Amino acid sequence: MSTTDGAPLSAHVDAITDAGEYLARSSKPLRLPDGREIGAISEVPRLYVTRAFARLAHAPVLPYATRLEMLAKAADLFENAVLEGQSIDDYLDLVGLCAGVPRAVAQASIAAIARTLRALPDTLAQEIPRGAVTSLDDPRVREGAAYWARQGRTLAVLASGNTPGVHGLWPSALALGYAVAVRPSSREPFTPQRLVRAFREAGFTSHVALLPTDHEVADVLVEQADRALVYGGQSVVDKYAADPAVLTQGPGRSKTVITDDVDWRAHLDTVAASVAGLGGVACTCTTAVLVEGDRARAEEFGAALAERLAESEAGEHRTELPLVTARQLAQYVERVGQGTTAHGRTDIVETVAPDTAVLHPVVRVAADAKAPVLGVELPFPCVWIAPFSRADGIAPLVGSLVVAAITEDMEFAQRLLDEPGIANVYVGAHTTTWMKAGVPHDGYLSEHLMRTKGVIR
Amino acid sequence: MSVPGAPDWSILDIDPLQQTVTDADAYVRTLMQWHFGTETGSPFWLRRRADLDFDPLTDVKTVEDLAQFPNVVDEFRDIAAEDLVPRGLGDSPKIAAVFESGGTTGRPKRFVMFEDWFTRYLAWAGRKAASGLGGSGINLLATTPSGPHMIGEVTVRQSHALGGKRFTIDIDPRWVKKLIERGQTDELRAYVDHLVDQTADILVTQDVGMIQTIPILLTKIAERPELVDLVRSKVKRIAWGGAHMDPDTRAILREEVFPGIPIVGGYGSTTILSVAVERKEEQPSGLATFDPFSPYVFFRVVDPDTGRPVAHGERGQIVMNHITKFAFIPNNLERDTAIRVPAEDGHIGDAVADVAPVKSFDGTNVTEGVY
Repeated sequence: MSTTDGAPLSAHVDAITDAGEYLARSSKPLRLPDGREIGAISEVPRLYVTRAFARLAHAPVLPYATRLEMLAKAADLFENAVLEGQSIDDYLDLVGLCAGVPRAVAQASIAAIARTLRALPDTLAQEIPRGAVTSLDDPRVREGAAYWARQGRTLAVLASGNTPGVHGLWPSALALGYAVAVRPSSREPFTPQRLVRAFREAGFTSHVALLPTDHEVADVLVEQADRALVYGGQSVVDKYAADPAVLTQGPGRSKTVITDDVDWRAHLDTVAASVAGLGGVACTCTTAVLVEGDRARAEEFGAALAERLAESEAGEHRTELPLVTARQLAQYVERVGQGTTAHGRTDIVETVAPDTAVLHPVVRVAADAKAPVLGVELPFPCVWIAPFSRADGIAPLVGSLVVAAITEDMEFAQRLLDEPGIANVYVGAHTTTWMKAGVPHDGYLSEHLMRTKGVIR
Repeated sequence: MSVPGAPDWSILDIDPLQQTVTDADAYVRTLMQWHFGTETGSPFWLRRRADLDFDPLTDVKTVEDLAQFPNVVDEFRDIAAEDLVPRGLGDSPKIAAVFESGGTTGRPKRFVMFEDWFTRYLAWAGRKAASGLGGSGINLLATTPSGPHMIGEVTVRQSHALGGKRFTIDIDPRWVKKLIERGQTDELRAYVDHLVDQTADILVTQDVGMIQTIPILLTKIAERPELVDLVRSKVKRIAWGGAHMDPDTRAILREEVFPGIPIVGGYGSTTILSVAVERKEEQPSGLATFDPFSPYVFFRVVDPDTGRPVAHGERGQIVMNHITKFAFIPNNLERDTAIRVPAEDGHIGDAVADVAPVKSFDGTNVTEGVY
């Protein structure tokens, strides 16, 4: 096993706190998608976690401006510095191999995280309620104002490892004055490891921790923290549904809807990019497309989309998976897709290296927009299509992180915006994966972490 | 128990100093005569002998040969306690208690603790894990299971040896397992906090010199700064057992939370009617290492798939053996795994380090819980 420049690839991920890096006696192997072992990740016990939180809760709160400066400095360190002996090239090699993505994709994710950190002064300026101040010295306090206050001292993050991009969100908690502990995913723990190192180097010496644990101890982070941000599947969403301190980032079930007042042929590229962009793994990737009209129209659209995906696939990166996982996913598609029409390639598993495979896009058409299969979100380009009618209401679009509405009907767009079960609405020729710093992803994180308090002095 | 004309059973007398058995194979041969002799064996083994496909009296000549025996502990869930009493012990041997296993993997199993064995085993344990506190008059705080569980009665004897008073908080480990199996984690947390609160009350109000408890209680005490201060100022020794303590928690407790206070583990099981004692000398591995009361109790660490021993330093599943004139419980494949460590010089079997629960056992999910 060697990297692009021939150096041996090995990886160690240990806990990081204000006390430094801690190599635990308990650990588990880190593996590439093909099963090869490249190192180990420490697993710290409950007592280590609770002691780390006791210290995080007492980390000094630095001034707002200082925090923002430190975050910008951290962005530079994250992108360029040698951190604990790790160069940016070493890091990109690790991320690319573990996530099964090409270096260019890893590099783009990394650049996006750094951009997000640098943009925090602007994005937080947009997030803060207009009537709120961040300092008792603000002259507005003399007249009486709202103070933007933290709802707690500590944030726990149970991260996922499907894309480095998930680590673009939680650093804003540092800007807001929280102390943050991240439990990395063992699939790709290198991004939070590097971020935490960069934050410490930039001055957040006692405000951030990396706490790799087994699944059982992961709950301890949530129990100990004042607020939590938890990534996972539907079971995770259900588990924490009743806990207002926990913000879950579950399946996105993002959808594209095309009304009959537009010509879908003009938007095939947009939809194909929504389905297959970011490797099809992101929660913003389109899982279902609702095409206004009858089933025949939906089938026609499905055939055209399958063709377009196949054309664009050649130039696209495809996420590499363990062969076993790829086969399981293909079987799962067959099981849940019973009764749907398949378009495009049906043998979707392609072995590209020993024990490693890629999955070709799945395009399937269901009989109607109520079919439960429309909510089946899988970590590769897989899209379910169904006929739809505006007259029947927007129920099939509820429960979506993003709805891209390719429509001219602004009254329809307004109904989508007014629906609480839809987090984002992009109207017109936009992909569901569209994003921009300052535009919320699932609400602003600050909605979960902050509140206003009345203040006068 | 010497009768003219009968075999010389004296080698079977338990020696807390571990000196009388110089030939473990000879010990095993005498033991076979005892347990499978109609005058001396227990009703259970005399009956069970018919189902064996070998003759213990002629085919078992060495410690190694004991491996021929099947694991019979599952039968201990149903047999009458009377059937476990070897006739050779006389008409009314003094029985300290009937203890039950925790029920980690199904219904509990029952074992008879004879006073003679209990006393001698405790004398050995007291010697091996010498605290220097014997007769000092310090008080013991025991937050442990009682009732059917061996540890409760052990703390009674411990406290007598210390010469002080015993404060107790009861733990019901079987209820804990039920809570875990039902996924009632909130209830479980509340129960553990309830145990800590009760323990805290004694720590605050009483003069406690030694604590005997389970790992999670030590972790929870360590999480409350006011309790840490009390333990540091009052307690001279901490003993734990009953469940797995991971090596990082052990290191944090010893080095950061309670530096200078000996923290000593015990690895016991009702199926061996004793507790293996943690080695005093810190091991190069930094792992808690346990020695059983050999040759009366010994461990083997095996690959569960082949039954063969794993190499020293490798992890395997623990096979426990209790081979005394009081009970014969060979080849019990336990729920736990451990790293195989050479036994001390002159002792049979293996020492075990870094004991941890296995994930699944005999088709039943293992719920370790607190004990």
